[in-house]
Amino acid sequence: MGDVAVMKRDGVGRPQLAAADVHALSQLLAETPELGGRRLDARERYQKTPLPDRVRHLWRFTNPEHLMPVASALPLAAPAAADLPETPEDGAAALLQGGTRSRAVLSDSARAAGLEILPLAEAGEAAVAALGSTAAAGFFSAFNDAAWNTGLFVRVPRGVTLPGPVHVRIDAGAGTTVPRLLVLVEDGAEAVVVEDHVGGRDARVVGVSEALVGADARLSRVLLQRWAADVNGHLSAASRLERGAELLTVFASFGGSRAKMELAATLAGEGARSRMVGVALAGGGQHLDHHTRHEHLVGRTWSQIDFKAVVSGRSRSSYTGLIRIAADAPESEAYQENRNLMLSDTGRVDTIPELEILTDEVSCSHGATVAPVDMEQVFYLQSRGLDRKAAMGLVVRGFVEDTLRRLPDAPRAAVAALVADRIDALNGGRS
Amino acid sequence: MSATPQIADLNRDYASRYGFHDPEEYLHKAPKGLDHEVVEMISRYKKEPAWMNEIRHKALDVFLEKPMPRWGNSAMLDSIDFENIHYYLKPKGELSTDWDDVPEKIKETFERLGVPEAERKFLAGVTAQYESEVVYHSIRKDLEELGVIFGDMDSALREHPEIVRRWFGKIIPTRDNKFAALNTAVWSGGSFIYVPRNTKVDIPLQAYFRINAENMGQFERTLIIADEGSSVHYIEGCTAPVYSSDSLHSAVVELVALPGAHIRYTTIQNWSTNVYNLVTKRAHAYADSVVEWVDGNIGSKLTMKYPAIVLKGERAHGEVLSVAFAGDGQHQDAGAKMIHAAPHTTSRIVSKSISKGDGRSSYRGLVQVARGAVGCKTNVECDALLIGAASRSDTYPTMDISGQDVSVEHEARVSKVAEEQLFYLQSRGIDEDQARLMIVNGFIEPFVRELPMEYAVELNRLIELEMEGSVG
Repeated sequence: MGDVAVMKRDGVGRPQLAAADVHALSQLLAETPELGGRRLDARERYQKTPLPDRVRHLWRFTNPEHLMPVASALPLAAPAAADLPETPEDGAAALLQGGTRSRAVLSDSARAAGLEILPLAEAGEAAVAALGSTAAAGFFSAFNDAAWNTGLFVRVPRGVTLPGPVHVRIDAGAGTTVPRLLVLVEDGAEAVVVEDHVGGRDARVVGVSEALVGADARLSRVLLQRWAADVNGHLSAASRLERGAELLTVFASFGGSRAKMELAATLAGEGARSRMVGVALAGGGQHLDHHTRHEHLVGRTWSQIDFKAVVSGRSRSSYTGLIRIAADAPESEAYQENRNLMLSDTGRVDTIPELEILTDEVSCSHGATVAPVDMEQVFYLQSRGLDRKAAMGLVVRGFVEDTLRRLPDAPRAAVAALVADRIDALNGGRS
Repeated sequence: MSATPQIADLNRDYASRYGFHDPEEYLHKAPKGLDHEVVEMISRYKKEPAWMNEIRHKALDVFLEKPMPRWGNSAMLDSIDFENIHYYLKPKGELSTDWDDVPEKIKETFERLGVPEAERKFLAGVTAQYESEVVYHSIRKDLEELGVIFGDMDSALREHPEIVRRWFGKIIPTRDNKFAALNTAVWSGGSFIYVPRNTKVDIPLQAYFRINAENMGQFERTLIIADEGSSVHYIEGCTAPVYSSDSLHSAVVELVALPGAHIRYTTIQNWSTNVYNLVTKRAHAYADSVVEWVDGNIGSKLTMKYPAIVLKGERAHGEVLSVAFAGDGQHQDAGAKMIHAAPHTTSRIVSKSISKGDGRSSYRGLVQVARGAVGCKTNVECDALLIGAASRSDTYPTMDISGQDVSVEHEARVSKVAEEQLFYLQSRGIDEDQARLMIVNGFIEPFVRELPMEYAVELNRLIELEMEGSVG
């Protein structure tokens, strides 16, 4: 970390955010005075936020120390510019790099439809009002709130159906990258937003993204984590759904050394529906930790989680999932499933699928399994002429694809090819 | 005219059936509060060996030093006033093996609770604990002749110090948790069972625990050792009077199933709703042994109890079968722990809970498979039934699995009484309350059928209702 300052710790071990540094970040990003003021308030809150509590299930399996920002979020030199992702036809593309203003390119059709996409630092009142309204509470979110060093604001106006996906590439860079995303999908609008976390050289990432899904709006969120092998990071993605809104959250974790991803959806309006579909493919000495949360605040809401983890080598997958149905949320339904496939004797899987149900007019269930590859399937494929490696690869793919094939086309295309490549890599390269 | 059974009636008659209390007549009553003096007094009163005295004092230091658990129902836990509890109460009269020698009041109490009757009917042995001391015990002659030891812990410490010293605190060490440390410091009473090699005790041994005084702490200590190839079934029941201020029950139960042994431990917990029931139960299961915890939690204000089995030997098998009922103001925080520490071990956990009114039940469990424990299989099933808009159910299962050749399955379901089932029963001419009761009984049937008949009848009666007083 040659070009960044090392962060000092305060008395309880919290990385110190000096008011001067926070102000300097605000200057560097040339953000509006409203955002600058908000950032200083956020710093005050951060100073009072306790470190993650390891007694709680959420942090039982991952030591937060590994994810702590080490270098200052304020880079001493501008990072080398990374390439913008290719602009999807009819969609938009954006690039976020720590310490810089984000860049975005819109297709003509997306522009014509009214898509608004701009650096968060430039966003107006609507964004400032919405920022932080649905982010998960907790130490890493509090840090991000005060120290985000690259941000993007995406707004899909009322009633607009975006003709193509918004592809946001977030470069882990070097040092500490603190990306912040805010997505507003207004009433009746429809959009697909892909958050693609890539790159990194010995970096730490503390990311927060929020999505507000208006009444009868539909949003598909895709979160891809494919960092370089030496990146450690914490990503938190939260969504809030109003009446009749529908959300699909797809998440896939491939990279990094130690990575924790928290995905939360709050069902705040009657008839809201949220589905989460995730895969984690861990190998080597990786430790991937995922948390999902569905909060049913009002009645007649529906949620479903399907999370699958494949563990090979000495790797480890940890999962904690919470479904909470509030006392005022009758006639709600919630389902949660976590299946884990163990490919090695040295792997480890932890899973805690939790339910907190505070009223009786509900239907709720969860299931979790841990099992090795079914060797009968492998033998069968071998009897059909496949070699062992190819047979194994196919069985693992079948395990994951059973989940992916139920996705709509747009998010599936973004994920399926990456998943297939990662399975090949875990299986010792393409056979 | 037939009375209409209502689930609301569960334990409605608690006050008259179990909730009465005798006038307090004690040989010794420790002042409220806990310090080394109280511990010393208990130990001296019992004329214990120095090693036990030392264990107690060290345990008190651990209890005082350990913070309250920060998980679970902290609001309820933090409201325990440890200074407002009597830690030792010795009732009048000496331990007796003849029912006629038990002091009149205590005898009346246990007779009212049906204890000697149960003994005559179907038990191989009985102990009855009143406050801190076991006041009565008996064992069938033929079992005694086979070398089966069944009695209270205090006597065992005097009569079989070598066995007690070998196992005491070895399954649940003092430092395990705050309440295990508390029990180790002030334990009194509890059961001791030793079953010799290849001896099958084919009918159950029973213990009955009764708290009588207000602000009482009961800290029984139970140790069961089933030697190689033996088998034993132990049943315990417990009740207390209804008082406006709280009592504390904090037991430690250690089980050792040596190779090929089989232990079944059945609990029907029906403390009054002013009792905190914070219990540590753990078994070590050696090769080819079977340990089963059958655990019914009906009473208490807050129960925190997670019977554990450490599967230490190959092919050992563990089961926890539990049912919890949480009515108004109650929190049943119960569950199970299975530690697969050896290859080819298997386990099953079945948990059923019913929350009613503003009652809350939580399943909290752990399944752990250690690295190298190949060929393990474990299956967990949790079912929760909610009755009433303010009722609450939580499921907190933890699975921590290392290694490849393992099969772990967990399933949980939470729902209210199914409308279609109700509708079907009603269409057959059964009224709604009766239908609801039938569904609840069906729900807990897998648990009830594992109980000896007398207990099954009692539990069904508890669940069912009290006819008297209900309008038909």
